[in-house]
Amino acid sequence: MAAERSSTSGSILAADFGNVLTRAILIDMVDGVYRMVARAETRSTADFPIGDARVALLRAADELNAVTGRILFDEHERLITPERPDRSGVDAFVATASTGRSLRTVLVGLVPEVSIASARRAAAGTYVDVVETISLDDGRDEEARLNALVNAHPDMVFITGGTEGGAEEPLLELAEVVRLGVKLLGERQPLILYAGNSILIPQIQALFKGVANLVVAPNIRPSLQREELEAAQLQLGQAFDRQQSSKGGFGELGSISRLGVLPTGQSYKLITEYLGLSMDGNVLTVDVGSAVSTLAASVSGRVTTVIRPDIGLGHSAGSLHDLAGEASIKRWLPFVPAPGQIRSYTLNKTLRPGGIPETLQDLYLEHALLRAAIDTLLHAAAPGWSESVMQVNTPLPPFKLIIGAGAGLTRAGNSGYGALLLLDALQPVGATQLQTDPYGLVAALGALAHLNPEAVVQVLDGSGIEQLGAVINVSGRPAANRTALKVKITTESGEVIKHDVPGGHLWVYPLGVGKHVKVDVRAVGRGLSIGGRGRWRGEVEGGSVGIIFDARGRPLPLAADVRGLAAQIPLWISEITGDPPVTIDESWLVMPEVKQEDEPVAKRRRRGAKPAAPKAPAARRGLFGRRGKTAEPMDDIDLPDMELDDEPQERRKDEDFLDELDQLRRG
Amino acid sequence: MPYYPDQRYLLESTTIRRERFLPENVIGRAEVRDGASVNLRDIVARGRLPSPYIIVEAAEFFRLKDPDELKGLMMVEVGETVEFKTPLAQTSKKRQRLLSPDAGVVVFIGDGRIIIQTSPETLDLEAGLDGQVVGVQAGRGVTIETFGGLVQGVWGNGGRTIGILKIEPEDGLESIYGDQLNIEYRGAIVVTRKPLRATGLMVMEDQGIDGVIAPSMETDMLPQVQGGKQTVLLTEGFGSMRMSVAVMNLLTSLAGRQALLDAVQPSRWDARRPEVVINPSGRQTARPPRPNIDLVLQPGTMVRLTRAPNAGSTGQIIDLPKMPNLLENGLRVQCAQVQLLTGEKVTVPLANLEVFGR
Repeated sequence: MAAERSSTSGSILAADFGNVLTRAILIDMVDGVYRMVARAETRSTADFPIGDARVALLRAADELNAVTGRILFDEHERLITPERPDRSGVDAFVATASTGRSLRTVLVGLVPEVSIASARRAAAGTYVDVVETISLDDGRDEEARLNALVNAHPDMVFITGGTEGGAEEPLLELAEVVRLGVKLLGERQPLILYAGNSILIPQIQALFKGVANLVVAPNIRPSLQREELEAAQLQLGQAFDRQQSSKGGFGELGSISRLGVLPTGQSYKLITEYLGLSMDGNVLTVDVGSAVSTLAASVSGRVTTVIRPDIGLGHSAGSLHDLAGEASIKRWLPFVPAPGQIRSYTLNKTLRPGGIPETLQDLYLEHALLRAAIDTLLHAAAPGWSESVMQVNTPLPPFKLIIGAGAGLTRAGNSGYGALLLLDALQPVGATQLQTDPYGLVAALGALAHLNPEAVVQVLDGSGIEQLGAVINVSGRPAANRTALKVKITTESGEVIKHDVPGGHLWVYPLGVGKHVKVDVRAVGRGLSIGGRGRWRGEVEGGSVGIIFDARGRPLPLAADVRGLAAQIPLWISEITGDPPVTIDESWLVMPEVKQEDEPVAKRRRRGAKPAAPKAPAARRGLFGRRGKTAEPMDDIDLPDMELDDEPQERRKDEDFLDELDQLRRG
Repeated sequence: MPYYPDQRYLLESTTIRRERFLPENVIGRAEVRDGASVNLRDIVARGRLPSPYIIVEAAEFFRLKDPDELKGLMMVEVGETVEFKTPLAQTSKKRQRLLSPDAGVVVFIGDGRIIIQTSPETLDLEAGLDGQVVGVQAGRGVTIETFGGLVQGVWGNGGRTIGILKIEPEDGLESIYGDQLNIEYRGAIVVTRKPLRATGLMVMEDQGIDGVIAPSMETDMLPQVQGGKQTVLLTEGFGSMRMSVAVMNLLTSLAGRQALLDAVQPSRWDARRPEVVINPSGRQTARPPRPNIDLVLQPGTMVRLTRAPNAGSTGQIIDLPKMPNLLENGLRVQCAQVQLLTGEKVTVPLANLEVFGR
């Protein structure tokens, strides 16, 4: 797990720079173990209008100071390190970032199935956009390869190939093409990462001397049977840091951080790997961010990571819409959207990525988008998992633990709602522990894992991650409203609770964090199972939601029509949150009404014709004609010099006829 | 703790710094030095658009034992434009002459080879602003500082135009549609308070209007607007929203002045925003202050509301409760109490508020 460990640190400041939010956590020893002692969150400042990521860190440090009384930066805005006797400063600072552009990378290797495949896996944990692949058997001549490389405008060229003691000459030929390409790229030289046959290192160094910056890592494929990615991954992370350093403030941040600014995606990979090993089971972490989403899974001890810069709820909402398709969003909506409503919503999210839905329809849209995002990530990730653990008709192998991250999941208004979103989108089977990461701990701890794995373990075992609770899911197609799960719960005090959960429903047994119960559940009904078995027994831990029994079935029998969805979705939300169910208004279940054309004849104005006589002002409803509310006097507010729009917000007749004219023109 | 809201500038007079960079796929260089004064149309960076490279094996052609001997035979230099069959190199007694296999630019001579980039198109990057260069980035471009009025929008179709800022006629942009040419709006940047429609685009084309500032448009118009010649900037977003009163009022007050409509299409990789820079009136000697990037929300702050049901409304903060508020959709988030211009008081998530930059 650790590639570059130093002596154990004392207090640690860990920060993660996202596209919308920057989060910082302060970690220190409490009673001999590392604990998160404070956290802070502020808007990111790397982009417009500030263009300096440090500003957000300073603001977060002010927040930490207000909570703990500890001063972290001096009067010159320099980080105080190491920690002083008066407890100001910290012993270490680590940083991760998911902001900024992915590294445009050209992969160069001998064989696609061997060295190139390993290079792709090494790159999976970093924000790498593979824009071109050059290999020995790509069927191109030198000139075509040169053109491909130069026109790709890479930030980095990742050269691999040759097992130890293996091929030399063909790899040098490819490296020659890279050298020539780099010369043609002029002032925008890419970084060269070499992680191939180590016997060629002196020749590769000579080849790129004075031409480009070269970084060397141990061979990622020392033999056909062995793959060693860790050192190359750290170099890739640091290459990301170097690219970031050209962006406002990241250069300075990298210089005060022990390992520079590492990619957040690597954190998910590292922490998932650690949890998979320590829990001896499959673990999945999913982070749906504004611009980038990450899904890391440890399945049968093998970790795969998918990082998608085109999937997100803010900056990438538009590309997610295009990628997932409107149908995959609409299938989660308990109302009929107006024509263009979904597209407008996603594009407006792209324009103002940090916004929060205020209306109920917008919230349903937001959560539909979130489910579609996770579903798309799953489809991208699942092919990389071992098929031997995949079960028939289930989208997922059984996972012992699922952690959700990103504001969309962790700030759903209610922990139960967050749990429901994870269940809907991932549809886990068997028994699973659900957690969320509301403080961005996983992202921040990844960088720390390289320096102080002990601190990572202890902080994760502490209270930084929110325990939602355990969930036991039924697979198959349970009959609606007939018992699908027979539940017997034995509490720590010996009390026995029995409950039948009907098909198509969720039931929550409230059990707080740190409390345990014994659960004995039987799947009742033809073809039903719990993770492939008829019965599941075990001890489970509670959480902020409790113990969830999901008798809806797998795959989830989502209604195909809006009326069915309007019954299902509010019911499930109510069952898991305990809030009263929302009744969907009948008007939501039909296509929003198109206004009658008052003036159907569209006439083009003739040459010299006078414009139409001014219309009589429409009757006003309030100053803006909105919601029929009457304006109140504003004597107590000093308003700027602004005119009020005295036109009603309602569509006017001339707008209606122009609508029709537009339709006619479009044919 | 203080809350630093999003900013979308709406300023009558301010100092503006803007980057002018070549696109990612263009190899080039900055053409001006740090500190230079530049005019709107000055070329500040120049580059070559991608086009194929041809490798000419010159040492092989001349059967040279040492590839370095090629330098003595060369008749062209790096950066020189060559035509088809232009002599590239020849032996001293002209026994052997190597001709260019295609027209293009010589981009590399070395290792016994000549590389020609075939007929690359040159991209000239204009300053786009009257101002002073305050930073140069090698291979990319420059940062320019200027001053004037500034109105930022949310979306642009990628166009850029310069013209006189004009407000649409009382009956709307579409009302100037007709066979008669209305020269009043020719070459102008027209502000419309209503959503842009297909008819509006036709009016622009018919009447020679170069740019339009509209509050919104439906998404089905995107292909038409993105492919069109006219420059389009939206101030509110997609759908059917009217222009914010605050935006409309400022644009109205600046009407008649020359303006640069830089309708940058928002991109995750580009920090620029679509905006209108309006030339200052008269002779202004002192530079106005730059926008305050450290603005925090506090009672009295004027804000723009960005999400439904109050998208586009302007109001004033009257309270910032410390505890999160429960919204009607069930979300519990940090909010502000805002009094709209109508007098209506609403509770709005802090994340859905924008300030104007001062």
